[in-house]
Amino acid sequence: MGASDVIFYLLAAMTVTFAVLSVTTRQIFRAAIYLLFTLIGVAGIYFWMQFEFIAAVQIVVYVGGIVVLIIFSILLTQQAGEKMAQPPLKRKLFSALAAICGAALILVQVLNYTFKPTTEEAIATNVKSIGTQLLNIDATGWALPFEVISILLLASMVGCIVIAMREKGNLKI
Amino acid sequence: MFITDYIKDVFGAMKSLGTGLKRTLYYFTHHKEIITQQYPDNRATLVLPDRFKGEVVMPHDEKNEHRCTGCTACELACPNGTIKVVTKFDITPEGKKKKAIDKLVYHLELCTMCNLCIVACPSDAIKMAQTFEHSVFDRSQLTKVLNKPGSKIMEGVE
Amino acid sequence: MYERIITVLPVKKIKEKKQNITVWSFADISKTIDQWLNDWVGATWATVFEMVIAGVCVIGLFALLGLVLVIMERKVAAWIQIRLGPNRVGPKGMLQSLADTVKLLVKEGMTPDGADKFLFNLAPFIAMIVAMLLMAPIAFAKDFQMWDLNVGVLYISAVSSISVISILMAGWASNNKYSLLGAMRSGAQIVSYELSAGLSVLAIVVLTGSLSLTDIIQSQQNGWWIFKGHIPVIIAFITFIIAVTAETNRAPFDLAEAESELTAGFHTEYSGMKFALFFLAEYVNVFIVCAIGATLFLGGWMPFHIGSWEGFNHVMDYIPSSIWFFGKTFFLIFLIMWFRWTFPRLRIDQLLNLEWKYLLPISMINLLLVTVMAIMGWHF
Repeated sequence: MGASDVIFYLLAAMTVTFAVLSVTTRQIFRAAIYLLFTLIGVAGIYFWMQFEFIAAVQIVVYVGGIVVLIIFSILLTQQAGEKMAQPPLKRKLFSALAAICGAALILVQVLNYTFKPTTEEAIATNVKSIGTQLLNIDATGWALPFEVISILLLASMVGCIVIAMREKGNLKI
Repeated sequence: MFITDYIKDVFGAMKSLGTGLKRTLYYFTHHKEIITQQYPDNRATLVLPDRFKGEVVMPHDEKNEHRCTGCTACELACPNGTIKVVTKFDITPEGKKKKAIDKLVYHLELCTMCNLCIVACPSDAIKMAQTFEHSVFDRSQLTKVLNKPGSKIMEGVE
Repeated sequence: MYERIITVLPVKKIKEKKQNITVWSFADISKTIDQWLNDWVGATWATVFEMVIAGVCVIGLFALLGLVLVIMERKVAAWIQIRLGPNRVGPKGMLQSLADTVKLLVKEGMTPDGADKFLFNLAPFIAMIVAMLLMAPIAFAKDFQMWDLNVGVLYISAVSSISVISILMAGWASNNKYSLLGAMRSGAQIVSYELSAGLSVLAIVVLTGSLSLTDIIQSQQNGWWIFKGHIPVIIAFITFIIAVTAETNRAPFDLAEAESELTAGFHTEYSGMKFALFFLAEYVNVFIVCAIGATLFLGGWMPFHIGSWEGFNHVMDYIPSSIWFFGKTFFLIFLIMWFRWTFPRLRIDQLLNLEWKYLLPISMINLLLVTVMAIMGWHF
């Protein structure tokens, strides 16, 4: 086992440990922080695989965006120093079941896939090739999904504005 | 129009920020403007502003005479009871009794240097001094008698 | 594989372009050390040793930066406010921050009773670790860079977004309403100002066509972008400086710690060394954003070159590249300190208005202008 493997196992252990902690802790803010560490661990694995762009995007979107939003909503709604109530047994069982099903599904897919050994040079994953691939209108390009997703985001933004907009008649706050 | 207002806003803001920055840069580069007094080191050359008020004193001339008539105007004017005038009655050469001060007691620890007693004094007997090193080890030392022992009122002050 | 992930000491290939830059470089020294370590202990341990060396260097730089920047800030503040500033400890008061550090070291680091102890003690370290991570891709001199990764700019904007977590964590874990308010304010502030900082950085990325800091510096060989890119780049520079001032929570955007309203915001409850870590992280973050600004707009370690004036460029090359880098960075730090001691603090609504109504639209239109400029080749 080389140093590379050691680094991988460290990152994987960190990711899994914090993932487990984040669902078992009863302090909601700590759960968010453990989730943060899990996501950073995933980003670390991307860095380890030398997909720097994906890793950086993982940090920007999940750590800088989503976790901050989660923490914000905790700050706005929860009281510091309180523990969450113990969830009922039925809910615990069903969530465990759902987690096991999801893991099994992924494992089956991974184990059934045959990874072909190849001697070819690895495809360079620099930003330029990702960009051209993303906005390519060839058969292998991703221009259509990209645009569809941007329409989805636009729709959700319009939805936010509609919800937040005050009607003209009642300006009372 | 909206867009011209917007642009005007931005440029106006930049200009006003620039004015402030120019001023602070001037001070940053002109060290001769520094107003810090390095107090205990420059005791000999320390210059205080004219309006600085340190404590109430009663000036005496070389014959040990003051101008206080003992009218208690300062005591009445003081908002926090800093001044206490103790009066006595002198016998004048004509055999008449005349009011004079025995002691003018001044509590420095109560004084706020508000200057009202000086304004109220009809005969300019007291004034504000510029001393400010008032620290002592015992509180009782802050209670002062302003008229010197054996002093008497100046001729012609009524 | 790991040798390439963590290229600790600067052993990267020098990209020789059409001009030969004669700036003295650290590459020879680091190559010698690398070679020697490899011969002595083998590749794996050489990497480990190099990591340790780099780590020690970073920690040393942190300590030095903390001392230098604190005394610099206090002197700048004093001179701007027509005061003398610290002038008792050491020659001209230059050892004042050292004395303060010793004081903070021996003070008791208290943890409040109602606090979440784990998160409370973790928060200052997160702030420090983020600042350390941000040091990695900065090129301090020619061929003196810890990690030359190909998405350097993106990496920096990504990792710097973690620093808000430490503030939110500190604010929540203190179990104090002022801390919580400070944390909320700084969260709203950093999340919104990250946008315009990112957009103004993108202007340079568009002009260079690369996210790598090395390429960005190389592209300024015939002049810095702030001169080559006319007005749009100057606008981008101004928005960048405003946005990073807000992102590092410094006055006039210091609502998170506004001492007159929130006592000290998120670090109200911190004392001793834990407070010092927050303090240090703030100053190191200022240094980092200024280093990024210097790299993107003022050419990093690249000496002052004008187009094709060979003679002039040659003379400029005699000044070592590290002096160029630190000179530019400290110029930008001075600019930010100058702002701090000139402008009054903004209200939270003014703060958000400035971002969403002014900076963001301006930098978006500016990005469009820069793109048009880059496509048409209007820059020098």
